[in-house]
Order: sequence, then structure tokens, then C-alpha cells
Amino acid sequence: MPTRLEPAPVMVERMVSSDPASSPSTSLESAPVIFDIRGLNVYYRDFHAVADTDLDIHQNEITALIGPSGCGKSTVLRCFNRMNDLIDGARVEGRVLYHGIDLYGPAVDAVEVRRRIGMVFQKPNPFPKSIYDNIVFGPKVAGWKGNLDDLVEESLRRAALWDEVKDKLESSALDLSGGQQQRLCIARAIATSPDVVLMDEPCSALDPIATYRIETLMRELKERYTIVVVTHNMQQAARVSDRTAFFSVDVGTQGQRTGRLVEYDSTDQVFTAPSLKETEDYITGRFG
Amino acid sequence: MTTDQRPDFHAALNSLEETTMDMADRVEKMVGMAVRSLVTSDNSLVTEVISSDDKVDELYMDIRSRWMQIMARQQPMGRDLRMMAAILELNNTLERMGDQAVNIARIARATAGLPREETILAKLVEMGDLVKPMIRTSIDCFVRRDADECLLLPAMDVPVDVLNRGMWKHVVECGHDQPLLEWATRMVLVSRALERVGDQAVDIGEQVAFLMTGDHHEFTRYTG
Ligand SMILES: Nc1ncnc2c1ncn2[C@@H]1O[C@H](COP(=O)(O)OP(=O)(O)OP(=O)(O)O)[C@@H](O)[C@H]1O
Ligand SMILES: [Mg+2]
Repeated sequence: MPTRLEPAPVMVERMVSSDPASSPSTSLESAPVIFDIRGLNVYYRDFHAVADTDLDIHQNEITALIGPSGCGKSTVLRCFNRMNDLIDGARVEGRVLYHGIDLYGPAVDAVEVRRRIGMVFQKPNPFPKSIYDNIVFGPKVAGWKGNLDDLVEESLRRAALWDEVKDKLESSALDLSGGQQQRLCIARAIATSPDVVLMDEPCSALDPIATYRIETLMRELKERYTIVVVTHNMQQAARVSDRTAFFSVDVGTQGQRTGRLVEYDSTDQVFTAPSLKETEDYITGRFG
Repeated sequence: MTTDQRPDFHAALNSLEETTMDMADRVEKMVGMAVRSLVTSDNSLVTEVISSDDKVDELYMDIRSRWMQIMARQQPMGRDLRMMAAILELNNTLERMGDQAVNIARIARATAGLPREETILAKLVEMGDLVKPMIRTSIDCFVRRDADECLLLPAMDVPVDVLNRGMWKHVVECGHDQPLLEWATRMVLVSRALERVGDQAVDIGEQVAFLMTGDHHEFTRYTG
């Protein structure tokens, strides 16, 4: 019998840890921690992709993961919903507590994890089906019993797409523009009533207007969900996020590149006066 | 090893800083010339201060417009952002310092025919001699990114304030002589202008501390 992933009230109430490396120094109220990650190490077979990472993710906040290509942002993001399970040879070590429950515990059902913790990818990837079917697919699989029409409308409204598609719900999702497709993917992700939405460079294929729409949407969504977003765009991280985690790459003697968390703080602090030179060098464009 | 991934932006930022330092050099000279014009009643010095100020105003506008372009195009972050904030502040401060120099020079011209009192003049020269090294120190700290030495500035400002506050007593002593009193009253304005310049040098020091630490410093200003 899989562990039910109901929020554990005691853990949800827990405040920011006092560990300076994993909790911001300034300006943010201490929202409850929903992901408590300690000593995270990720390997792809014998390749050490991410080393010794501690990170707290706070409820109803947007947390941005930034850093140079290959530093392991996507790898870390995939640890939040066990997407790495689907990658051959991937191995996750360390502790990933979600509402106090060990996500990698033997009794935890990975499918249920991915329902609670949805994901939106870089390239909009709607199913080659109707807009309507894209939304109802996940909930149906999960055995959802409510009114599907209502669910579709609600999800599309929350994703700020309803007005644009309400008269063509049966047409193919692939006929939508890139920005609309991405909002559809967000609608699809939230249709399963997740708790967390993970986004891996959700705007990198979009034009500026579609990007601003998604960013506005993210700020609206954080009222209900917790968002973790990987972005290459520092201005985007600065615009949307509450906290920013900066990852970097250590190059070993054999040239092996291992990512690690360098600095984690409120976004205001990270982009105006980060505490480490390495972060400052990165955000001011002095690196590589 | 770090490589600069944004060389064009950083070149533009460096060049903006250089222009600001050019402005600072001019303002420092203007303050010196203005005080000398009081002593020598040399009208050509007055003219030079005023024409230097035209150049300073030009630099001020130039810095502002380049500043806007950099902000719009480059969206600076971290230390670069703090440098931009500091430059904007320095630009304002230096422009006002230049205005103070002009005020002093204009007073020198307007009072050239009046009798004068050597004690007062000596005090003003002393204030000038105190304030000029303050400007130099603040600018050097900025160029060298020296967040320690700029902490000296409030202490350097103390005698300037003391001299300024003592000025009215000397002016009162001129009360018996109408033309002399007219001159002395204007010298109170000069004293006040020099005192402001000292404060402005401390302001620049605060910007250096901000640039280096990211904290908004208000230096403790000595009173008493
Ligand atoms: N499926 C995989 N199999 C083997 N190695 C992988 C796999 N996915 C990622 N890696 C390696 O792990 C490291 C981290 O990759 P990851 O995709 O997490 O980086 P990233 O920070 O998201 O980079 P980018 O910004 O380019 O998306 C890289 O060296 C990458 O080559
Ligand atoms: Mg990635």
C-alpha cells in the first residue's frame, strides 16, 4: 500500500532552518518549507552530476534555479518529483523530504508523486489531441470523478488561456501558438490539483509577450501552488522569483564537471548584493 | 579563471565611471579656484570657475543619458548595479559641488570692491584647505574601491563644521562698519557653501561603502 502523500502538518508548520547555506538572510517572511533537501548527490551511472546540495523550498513561493549550462539545474529539478527514476542509470542519494515525507522512501508511489508535483517543460509538449483531451487526460488516469467540463474550464482559466480557446476546445492542441501551447501545458499540469509545479525553462521557446504572460501567470499561480523554475534568463529569475538558488560547476582533475549549489538567498539579495564573489561574477557576466 | 562574458557592457560601464571621475577632477579644481578668487579678487578665476561649471553641467547630462542607455540595454546586476546606483548619486553630488564653487566665485566677484577682514578670510582659506583633500580622498577611495579609508571622511569633516559654526561670531564683530558688514555677511554664505562641499565629500564616501558592501551606509556625522 503506497504512502499517501498528504501534507504532514507538523512539518508544514516548520519554519526556515537556521542553516545559513540553505536559508535566505533577508527580507522574506519564513514561509513553511515544503521540500527539505539535504546532502543531495545525483549520479548518471558513474558520472557525478550534482554534489552535496542542501536546499529548502518554501510554500507558495517561486524559487528560481540559475547557473551555467550543465550545472545540474534540470537534474535537481527532476529530483523534486522523481523524474530521474525514468532515466536509465540515474541515481539519487541524500534526503529529499516533501512535507516531511521521504520522497525516495520505499513505500512512496512515484506516480502519485508526479501527480502532486507537476512539471512543465522547456518545449511545449501537448499531446496530439484536442485541447479538451489534453486537460482531462491526467485526471482521468488518476480516477477523477468530478465534472470534466468544469475541470477543463477551471484549469484553462487558471492558466489564463480560457478566453482564447473556449470556442475551440475540440480542435487540436497542436494548432495553438507556442505561447498558448505552453499555457495549455500549465493548465494540464494544474488540472491534476498538484501542490507544486516544476518548470524547466518554460519560456525559452516563447516570444517576449508570451513570456510576460507566463510570468504573470506564475505570480498568480503561486497563490495556490509552490513553483520551482529553472531559467537561463537571469532577468526572468529576477522578475518572477522570491528566492534564487545559484548553481555552479566544479571541474575535477579528469575534467569531470560536477554541479553544486553555491548560494541561495532572497532574489533581492542575490541580484543586488550576493554574498559570494562566485555568484557576483556569474550575475555580472564574469565567468567561464 | 573568470572571463568577462559582457565586455561591451563593462567597457561602457568603465567609460561612464571615467567620465564621472573626470567630472570629479574638474569640480575639485573649481573649488580651489573659487576660494582663491576670494583671496585674489582675480576676475579671470571667477570666469574660469563659471566656464568649468558649464563643462560640468555638460558632463552631468552626458552621464545621465549614457546611464539611461546602459540601464535600458544591459540590465546590470550585483556589483554592476551598485556601481550604476553609485554613479547616479555621484553625478548629482558632483554637479551640486560644482554649483557651490560657482556660488563662491560669484560672491568673490560681487564683493571684489568691498573692504575685507583678514581673520574671516583666513578661516575661509582654511576651510578650503580642509575641504579640497576631502574631495580628493573621496574620489581616490572610489577609484581604489577603498571602503576603509572612506571612513576617515566624517572625521575630516569635523573641523570644517566647527569653522562654519564659528563664522557668525567674526561677522558680528564687523557690525561697526557697514561696507565691511556687507562683505562679511556674504562670507557667511561662502562658509556655508564650503561646509556643504565637505558634507558632499562624505556623501561620496558613503557611496563607496555602499558599492563595496551592498549596505546603505549613513556615516556617523560628528556633532558638537
Ligand atoms: N540523462 C542523462 N544521462 C547522462 N548524463 C546526463 C543526463 N542528463 C544530464 N546529464 C549530465 O548531467 C549534468 C547536468 O545536466 P543538467 O541537464 O541537469 O544541467 P542543466 O544545468 O539543466 O543544463 P542546461 O542549462 O544546459 O539545461 C550534465 O553534465 C549533463 O551532461
Ligand atoms: Mg536544463
